[in-house]
Amino acid sequence: MGNLDMLSLTAYALQVLLIIMAISIVVHKNNGTIIILITTFSLITASLYVINKAPDVAIAEVAIGSAIIPLIYVISISRQREFIVLDKAMDDFIIADNAFTGVGYVLLKRFTDFYHLELNICNDVRLCSLGAGRDQLLCEQTNVDLIVTKDDERNVYILKGKASSVLTYKLEAMARDYDNIEVVKFKDRDFGD
Amino acid sequence: MNPLLTFVVILIGFYGLSTSSNIIKSVFCVTIIESGVILLFLNLGNLDGGVIPIIGDALPVGGIADPLPQALMITTIVIGSTVTALALMLCIKVFHHYGTVEWAEILSRESGK
Amino acid sequence: MIKQLILIGLLGILFGVFFVSMQDIQELYNTFGKDYIAATGFADTGSRNLVTAILLDYRLFDSLFEAGILLIAVSGVIWISKHESQEKNAQFMLDKFKTPDLFVTFSRLVYPLMLAFGFYVIINGHVSPGGGFQGGAIIATAILILYYIDADKDTNIALIVTIEKILYIAILLVASLSLVSRGELFTNFFVIDASPDTKAIYLVLLNVMIGMKVALGLWTIFTAFLKEGR
Repeated sequence: MGNLDMLSLTAYALQVLLIIMAISIVVHKNNGTIIILITTFSLITASLYVINKAPDVAIAEVAIGSAIIPLIYVISISRQREFIVLDKAMDDFIIADNAFTGVGYVLLKRFTDFYHLELNICNDVRLCSLGAGRDQLLCEQTNVDLIVTKDDERNVYILKGKASSVLTYKLEAMARDYDNIEVVKFKDRDFGD
Repeated sequence: MNPLLTFVVILIGFYGLSTSSNIIKSVFCVTIIESGVILLFLNLGNLDGGVIPIIGDALPVGGIADPLPQALMITTIVIGSTVTALALMLCIKVFHHYGTVEWAEILSRESGK
Repeated sequence: MIKQLILIGLLGILFGVFFVSMQDIQELYNTFGKDYIAATGFADTGSRNLVTAILLDYRLFDSLFEAGILLIAVSGVIWISKHESQEKNAQFMLDKFKTPDLFVTFSRLVYPLMLAFGFYVIINGHVSPGGGFQGGAIIATAILILYYIDADKDTNIALIVTIEKILYIAILLVASLSLVSRGELFTNFFVIDASPDTKAIYLVLLNVMIGMKVALGLWTIFTAFLKEGR
């Protein structure tokens, strides 16, 4: 009989621990820490399932909650810190003297540091070879946030972004000081049709 | 007593869902509510004790825990993980469309048009 | 601030209602269902694990269509993450920082063990804790370890989803066979008087198929996420 009391005591202790974990997940501000907390949360629930005479459910919870759930959270959180720029101009706007010192790179770096984002510049050959008429489609179909092109006649760099994004407006405000940079916003169309 | 403590977890999840400012935080809170509901079902199936519902040739003396809620909850866990994945994939798309994942900014942009 | 106080008050009312309803739970609670299943479950279904008996025999209808929801969610993830022009190669964050050698060696050691454990859980689902859903999740985790060993591994998502759809149709067909042999839909296709050992053949067959389906579905989901995470 003493054995049974021990079991129910463990159950109460784990339930109180579960409530504490739930509160800490709700009040925490940093999403990266929450991933660790939610993994711990799911392990505690798995042990409670065993105590509640459900070993089948506990196996499922451990298998799902220990690897797959943290992985998809980590990827989706790291993706939400990124600002993807497609460089179509391919001259010294971004890379000058074989280093990231071009005037455009300095502007974008200042912008992304200010809003705690991570700058990610790609110049995929297949994407850059697409015509200028497909820029809007490219922006909507892929995750590219900004497209850099060059107008040779006026010697002006054009940054194209989505009109729906808050970041495009913020970038426009920041680029007002530069003479040879202008920001163009694509007209908004319905999302997800 | 155990179902009451489990219900507190569900209520904490509801509180976080209504006060969270950020989409990812809301998905976390949905996960908490889901775990709480699973635990509540198992608590209610185990009210008067009993052993694990795997039987030998003779019936166990103290009876068994109710296997029906357990069978329902196994599928819930697998489905819940895929639905979480769907929600997070939508989150990534929302970030690249609106440039933010804060609820307030998204709602102000939607109503501003 | 006042908003949060009102919210806490409302949640407190909910808790009070739940507390009051828990006082009467002894009047509502009865044990007829679990007594019936404990007494006749093994003879009816041939499964010593009564949870598997409910999942694959008594309430097979539920399990089938929850497996269908899994398929729908997987299709949704793929549809959302679909890129019209494939701009990115399937690499992910791990190859920015090289995976440590110790970790790779350990993963190589653990991977076959996890795969074997997953199959063990699936095949013994009718006599011990386990079954298709759990074993499928374990196999999916084992496949995830494979990506840690070789980060540049590329997978054909379209093929995996096609196999998953075919498996789902096959599960529906096996579950419908009982209409011919027993005259009832969605139950064991062996006659009710067959011995438990014979009935176990059906349980193992359906567990293996559901396990494969769940593993392929979860594999598709995290491949889509890894491609997204390039």
